[in-house]
Amino acid sequence: MSELIGGPNFSGRSGALMERLKALAPGNAFFVGPYAEAALSGLSNTVADELAIYCCVAAPTRRFAPLDFATLAARKPPTLSGGEQVLLALHCFSLSDFSTIGIDTALEQLDPTNRDMALGFLSAGDFTAVLVDNRLDRLAGWTSVEREPQDVFACDLAAATDKLAPTRAPAIAIEDLSFRYVTGRDIFRNARAVLAPGQAYRLIGPNGAGKTTLFKLLAGVLAPKAGRITLDGAPYAPWREGNRLFAFATQNPDHQWCGATLGDDLAQRRRALARHPQIAVPDEAALTALAAHLGVTSAEQHLYELPLVARKRLSWLWPLSGALPWIMFDEPTIGQDRAMRATLATTIERLAALGHGVLFITHDDDFAAAIAHRKLELAEAAIRA
Amino acid sequence: MTPNGAILFGLLVIAATGVARELDSLAIIFLVLLLFALATKRSIVAALAWSLAIVAPLAAFMVLVWIVIVGRAPNEIAAGVAGSRSAAAAYVAIVCARLFVIAFAVQALFLRFTDWTPLRFVRALSAPALIKKLLVLTLSLIETILQAIDRARTALIAAGMITQRFSLQNLRNGWLLVQTVWLTVIAIAIGRTRDKWPTEGTLARLDHALAAPAPRPSGVDILWVVTATVCLIIAWSWAG
Repeated sequence: MSELIGGPNFSGRSGALMERLKALAPGNAFFVGPYAEAALSGLSNTVADELAIYCCVAAPTRRFAPLDFATLAARKPPTLSGGEQVLLALHCFSLSDFSTIGIDTALEQLDPTNRDMALGFLSAGDFTAVLVDNRLDRLAGWTSVEREPQDVFACDLAAATDKLAPTRAPAIAIEDLSFRYVTGRDIFRNARAVLAPGQAYRLIGPNGAGKTTLFKLLAGVLAPKAGRITLDGAPYAPWREGNRLFAFATQNPDHQWCGATLGDDLAQRRRALARHPQIAVPDEAALTALAAHLGVTSAEQHLYELPLVARKRLSWLWPLSGALPWIMFDEPTIGQDRAMRATLATTIERLAALGHGVLFITHDDDFAAAIAHRKLELAEAAIRA
Repeated sequence: MTPNGAILFGLLVIAATGVARELDSLAIIFLVLLLFALATKRSIVAALAWSLAIVAPLAAFMVLVWIVIVGRAPNEIAAGVAGSRSAAAAYVAIVCARLFVIAFAVQALFLRFTDWTPLRFVRALSAPALIKKLLVLTLSLIETILQAIDRARTALIAAGMITQRFSLQNLRNGWLLVQTVWLTVIAIAIGRTRDKWPTEGTLARLDHALAAPAPRPSGVDILWVVTATVCLIIAWSWAG
């Protein structure tokens, strides 16, 4: 009988999941963790090798192949999008001889179509699945276990943002933007878009459409092959000048730390922002207080020692600090329980009302519905408003 | 060609290059390597360019030290004779040519197996299971470091500490990149070894994935191994 472990954040669901896997199939249960390092084996240099490590059934009876993995065979697994990595992991499981699978919130990274397919696959298989998922209360035919909350890492987003002052973010114009990875198709081809301040935008598109890539282009992590970006009509090239526009909360919070401890991270970032005279860099005390509202009370706290959910919340610190005019949230709800998702939606609306521009990516339609926003659809290498 | 044949060919060529004392024998070895690379019917321009790029810094350093500053070859210094810059130039040429040939040998071997995945290559090797596993783990570590570099760059660029393109700011904050890369490598490794691997017994599955009888040596293997052996004999006899 498959099992859904429910409960709010910090109720020990991940620990319970691991214990359950140990009891069901010690050392022999497939595991898809909430982040890439714990979703894929880490032993393969290509998708083909990842499949070779797990594939040991000549004629699999439980095939799950939502993507054309043959065309992705030569790709390095870490270069796949977060959702594609989860789909690859599930595909590997479907080709393996494991009889038990545990999934810790990873399905939250999937777009609605792939998520429904994955849940259908998990429900219909001749194997045992143990699932932690913040968007499910129950599943037909599954047993549910509800865990009690523990009073740790208390997070108060309303208090975190109550002192934010109104601002006026510049309007962004993306003109004829083209981009492709060294080996791959065009992600953008002469794409155009205009982003107005005081507005929230949701980027939509299937897994692998280029949503995170657009964030990376806007933050200067990637340089376009052609095209330009302007701020209120003035040219802006963050890949040359450095990012001074976007506070970026990445999908995996560990993709954004700049130090080992919270104090290191804050100090480095403050130093970097202080180079730009137009940015009012928050002082250390204000940032430390903000971190406390997000659940981390000590600047000496080692970031990597925090639970993933607490790291994810802490990754919102710079977006919520109000230091930068535009804010990007990449899948902010992953791992967050219902109450936190509702509070975060309210906070994003508040940031937009204060004059910030907000871009967010989410596959959680309920979360998006709680925010007044415009949609930007990424399809066929274009951005459609 | 099988991976075993390719590895043996590579080792023999590298040994011949190490033994060679004259530019003539190095030229013969290079010619053989050139034919080996051209036989793949792929462009060898990138392989040549990479080999040159690897040698260039050493060449520049040696020219400065041995020809411009010292002005004598090491054997002339050992013999206590006056020496000359031309002898020093010949010495620099031999050392750099040797490194170039070795670098190109490695590139040519990669060229042969461009279509192979690393796991397929390692599986086809005639080596003990433990060695194969260590090879896969080493490749995995390299991949992890590359992944960590990409992540750390993302973090530091998004935070405005470095820029995507070259800048003085990048030089100033380069040490931060190194620190962030290593923190990330550790975080990734801990993530795998704490959760994924023990839950699945992932390393045990690797044994299964690597278990395969090594393919028999092909005619192509024999041809190139014999050619490399001849190169080694020539280099040895001319050096003597």
